[in-house]
Amino acid sequence: MSGKLEYDEPRVVIRGVLADTDVDYVRNFFRRYRSRILDSGRLVVDFRDSPGIDSVTAVVLQGFCNELRRAGVRVSFENTPRSVMEIFESLSKFESAASDFKNRVSLGETLEFIGRSWYEMASTVAGLGRFLLETLGAFLQVLLTPMKIRWHMILYYMEESGYKAVPIVATLNWLLGVVLGYQAGYQMRIFGAENFMPTLLAYSITWEIGPMLAAVLVAGRSGSAYAAEIGTMKVREEVDALRVMGFDIFNYLVVPKMMALLFVMPFLVLLANISGVLGGMVSGMMFLDLPAGTFVSKLGGAVIPLDILWGMLKSVVYAVIISTVGSYMGMRVRGGASAVGRATTAAVVMSIFMVIFADAMLSLLFVHIRPGLSF
Amino acid sequence: MDAVIKVEGLRGGWDRLPVLDGVDFRVMEGEILMIVGRSGCGKSTLMRHMLGLIKPWAGRILFRGIDVWSNPDAMLNARRRWGVTFQSGALLGNLSILENVMLPLREYTDLTEREMITVAFSKLETVGLAEFATANPMEVSGGMQKRAGLARAMALDPEVLFFDEPSAGLDPVTSAKLDNLIKSINRSLGTTVIIVTHELASIFAISDRVIMLDAETRGIIATGTARELRDGSTDPRVRAFFRRNVGEESD
Ligand SMILES: Nc1ncnc2c1ncn2[C@@H]1O[C@H](COP(=O)(O)OP(=O)(O)OP(=O)(O)O)[C@@H](O)[C@H]1O
Ligand SMILES: [Mg+2]
Repeated sequence: MSGKLEYDEPRVVIRGVLADTDVDYVRNFFRRYRSRILDSGRLVVDFRDSPGIDSVTAVVLQGFCNELRRAGVRVSFENTPRSVMEIFESLSKFESAASDFKNRVSLGETLEFIGRSWYEMASTVAGLGRFLLETLGAFLQVLLTPMKIRWHMILYYMEESGYKAVPIVATLNWLLGVVLGYQAGYQMRIFGAENFMPTLLAYSITWEIGPMLAAVLVAGRSGSAYAAEIGTMKVREEVDALRVMGFDIFNYLVVPKMMALLFVMPFLVLLANISGVLGGMVSGMMFLDLPAGTFVSKLGGAVIPLDILWGMLKSVVYAVIISTVGSYMGMRVRGGASAVGRATTAAVVMSIFMVIFADAMLSLLFVHIRPGLSF
Repeated sequence: MDAVIKVEGLRGGWDRLPVLDGVDFRVMEGEILMIVGRSGCGKSTLMRHMLGLIKPWAGRILFRGIDVWSNPDAMLNARRRWGVTFQSGALLGNLSILENVMLPLREYTDLTEREMITVAFSKLETVGLAEFATANPMEVSGGMQKRAGLARAMALDPEVLFFDEPSAGLDPVTSAKLDNLIKSINRSLGTTVIIVTHELASIFAISDRVIMLDAETRGIIATGTARELRDGSTDPRVRAFFRRNVGEESD
């Protein structure tokens, strides 16, 4: 059922019950008659044919009445049923509170907000550090008592985070290898230097791009999955249940994930490197008239074991970062399902950030351990 | 009768929100103790302190004379002798009901797989869920989840059984059945039971003793049997709690 408004200067007569579907109708009505009401300087809202009103329409109606009052119009209500009076009274009680609410973002509060978010950031990092220490503690404890290692869980996570990531890691790195090879070769050809492409490509892929892309993919696939898994268990009191059964949460939930990633990450990086270089070879053959044989012999002269090892070593750091951040974000979940969603996002963003940060640090510190390239 | 658990001068709450202040009580061997009170008065908070899920701000929780918070071993020892059923059942969603019940057995005993399965089945039998053993917890009703949680809590034949809101979300008949189950476990095995609830029907049906908490005093405002509190208390808050609900029931 919906209501109708009629303007009969100075009266607005309401017929029927104004429902929440009538909001636009009410707005348009008042817009249309606004100037006439202002001219007459008087408004009587007449409920004689209306037994009630929805609060949704009432708040709109009241808004117009207040606005008109401020413009100097004398507004009055007539024949208002008790129930409608109560709705208006309750609305006006909260109206001023609501406008206070909206105006609350002052400069001071903005600054306070910024300060607080920095503080929260700092406390997150501090919490993460503590969490990492506790995980490492549990990790060592497990290593000392190998019977306690939960092999079936480690295998499960190795399959989920490692084996199942093979196609995407291989494909994307291959594709990137093709593109990089083409880009580099295209530019180097200007100097007639396209023969150096294989070496440069292999260097950039094994030292930076391969490990990084593999880590980013694992963070997106598994870091988020860890956060979601633990977060959901947290929300459903499963974590509490495990704790009161005397389970060590770190040992049960966190260590298997970290161990699994420690096992699979080096191999994912190896795979990423190989597929990236293969991509470069393909692009050499297709775009630069560089036969596969030449490509391989160039590589053979340039690539040293350290190139392969270094990425695998870095990946150990990435594995610790991704599993710790994912589990920590899941553990921090409080409240309901939406908190789980936020935790997964936070896990991905935070672990990618930290992976890149760690990579930058490692590269700055160790760039000189690699002897100069021999082209 | 001896006290199994003693709570002494407990002060606690969440982060910086104080909920409990100066809570003292004892849980006697073999009794069914109910912790009751209006919503938000801190029943669940109290239980979480007792279970060692949140650290008390002050005071002690003694299990057979030993402060469970004094060192990790004391806590672990207590937890091995306690069984806890959470409001939602809190079964691990990635394991079947049977495997959930086997979880404590796997962690704490050296039973073979076959023996663990046998024990788990007999516990599921007790709560009437043997035919759902292989189901995933998410595939059965809320009442069944609670019963499965109870079976898991009983896996190691605990000395003390904690139960958060057994009747929440259940129809009166199912709830009464669960109450009877708890009572029969208590009577046949001598298990001490601590139940958090605000369901008057189950308070009168199975409690031996009741303690009532109040949000304003942040502590216990009444102790006694359910009938004593209903008929003998002069405290208006106690009367309101017991009378109002009784009134609604007879409506
Ligand atoms: N996870 C939490 N984080 C912060 N504060 C909480 C949390 N859970 C409860 N509280 C607060 O602690 C106080 C006591 O809540 P508690 O859950 O113990 O009440 P309750 O007696 O169990 O109520 P109910 O019968 O509704 O379950 C409340 O003021 C509540 O706001
Ligand atoms: Mg509660």
